[in-house]
Amino acid sequence: MKKQKVVILDNEQQNKRDLDAIHALQEGLTKVDQFPVYTPDLQWFEIMIQTEKQNSRKKLMKELSMFIMIALIILSGIIVSFYQMPVVFIFIQIITSIFIVLYTFTRFSKKVNSNE
Amino acid sequence: MDPLVKSAKEGDQLAFAMLFKENYPFLVKYLIKITMNPDIAEELAQDTMAKCIQKMNLYNGQSKFSTWLISIATNAYIDHCRKQKRENNWKGQEEVYRKLKWHFESRNEEWNDAIGALGKLPVDVRVPIVLKHYYGYSYDEIGAWLKISPGTVKSRVHNGILAVRRELKIGEETEGRHTRQRTTK
Repeated sequence: MKKQKVVILDNEQQNKRDLDAIHALQEGLTKVDQFPVYTPDLQWFEIMIQTEKQNSRKKLMKELSMFIMIALIILSGIIVSFYQMPVVFIFIQIITSIFIVLYTFTRFSKKVNSNE
Repeated sequence: MDPLVKSAKEGDQLAFAMLFKENYPFLVKYLIKITMNPDIAEELAQDTMAKCIQKMNLYNGQSKFSTWLISIATNAYIDHCRKQKRENNWKGQEEVYRKLKWHFESRNEEWNDAIGALGKLPVDVRVPIVLKHYYGYSYDEIGAWLKISPGTVKSRVHNGILAVRRELKIGEETEGRHTRQRTTK
């Protein structure tokens, strides 16, 4: 009983010290909040938004065109191999199937391991 | 949903600009608190706004817009730290708050030791402490933003507070008395 009381008192003391530290932190951070921050005018924000939207549109177009180009190269390679070199075509098909199975298996096992 | 946020989501540029202007001081001040550097804070505030423009369609209005901004800003700062570490530009923890200290001195304001103690903590501890004990976000929310479990956030905050206590020497006198008593027995 006495031991329990001592533990409770110790915990209370610890909590009080934690609270003191938290109060000191809050006090310091409030001082930071009082710092004057220069806020640009509305026009600056509008220009920034416009520029950012233009940049992201450009980036999207670039990525989309890269994707289409790579897809076309792969597709034309597969079509050429299908008509000109059937052995290569079959080889690609087998390799791709094995890769997909292995990739799915490793991903799935990783997921199971992380859940454990 | 706030009508300004709704208009911004629909593509109204002016509404977007007004929304950013309204939240800019809040965002920069949050970033100063976690970066301890007003210059980096302003740089990251611009990065955050850029990310916000790209991800606006993902904002569902369940939380306040400022909360959403804070979550993006937190991740922007973590990315910034990772990038600095990769580029071997990483400065020691001691140097983190030097700039802020200078700002305090230039305003003839007394330097706060608690801020110094906070600045000495690693980023992954400092950020949860500010979010929990200054902004009052829950462990679940912080965990979701930092992509760690709420339990991990809780232990980081706890250990961080202990480190701050040690740095500020809070409760050291009584602890010292306890150990002295124990050793004499």
